[in-house]
Amino acid sequence: MSVPSHGTRRWPSRVYGEGDEPDARFSLANERTFLAWLRTAMALMAAGVGIETVNAATSSSRNPLVTWLALLLLAGGVLVSATSFTRWAATERALRTGRPLPAPRMGAVLGYGLAAVGVGIAVLLVIVGI
Amino acid sequence: MSDHDTGDERARAPVDPGLQIERTTLAWLRTGLSFAVGSLVLTRLIAHTRPLVALGCVLALLPVAVLVGVLAVRRYRADSALPQHRQPLADGALPAGVALLAVLVGAVGMVYTVLL
Repeated sequence: MSVPSHGTRRWPSRVYGEGDEPDARFSLANERTFLAWLRTAMALMAAGVGIETVNAATSSSRNPLVTWLALLLLAGGVLVSATSFTRWAATERALRTGRPLPAPRMGAVLGYGLAAVGVGIAVLLVIVGI
Repeated sequence: MSDHDTGDERARAPVDPGLQIERTTLAWLRTGLSFAVGSLVLTRLIAHTRPLVALGCVLALLPVAVLVGVLAVRRYRADSALPQHRQPLADGALPAGVALLAVLVGAVGMVYTVLL
């Protein structure tokens, strides 16, 4: 990384194997977007661990619905973490080859998913009374 | 980006990442910090029931957290000292590494949730 040259091997070759070096600002913005997704993933995981800890601390027997909700949030965090890198790679590849950027699929999953989780929490609060 | 910046001037100007390298390095650092804090909180929760596992997690996590921070700061340091037209040559290894770490933290969180 210290001596830029055309012979420098950069990983993964699926990204750097073709196309031209894009404007550095685009690559940097792509990287910050990746990092923002990663922080979102960690927030989802923290929410999952948090509600399960409260679940265990407030009653002698854990509410299984809350446990499932926690697992759902954690699985969402894992999914977002895993796709954040593949999306970074796909975007970097598109920037290099001049093709259109990949569609932001995870945005819809996250948006509708969090809306569903919000409804689920509201139902738990009102009906189950946790 | 100033008002009198004409398209012609922009076309002739070399690529200047400006403060983008700094913004990106800061984004790396706050992501690394969130990771470290989240992992430590999770470890603290595990310590209630499995102190040895928690100790092992801390001993494994702290060097990793420091390493991610050092690599993140070094990632563009050489580039910011270069002339403006040189491109950052960081690759996808560090992004892949931290994404994998996040997946692992999520897996540990799921095990914690099931075994709590």
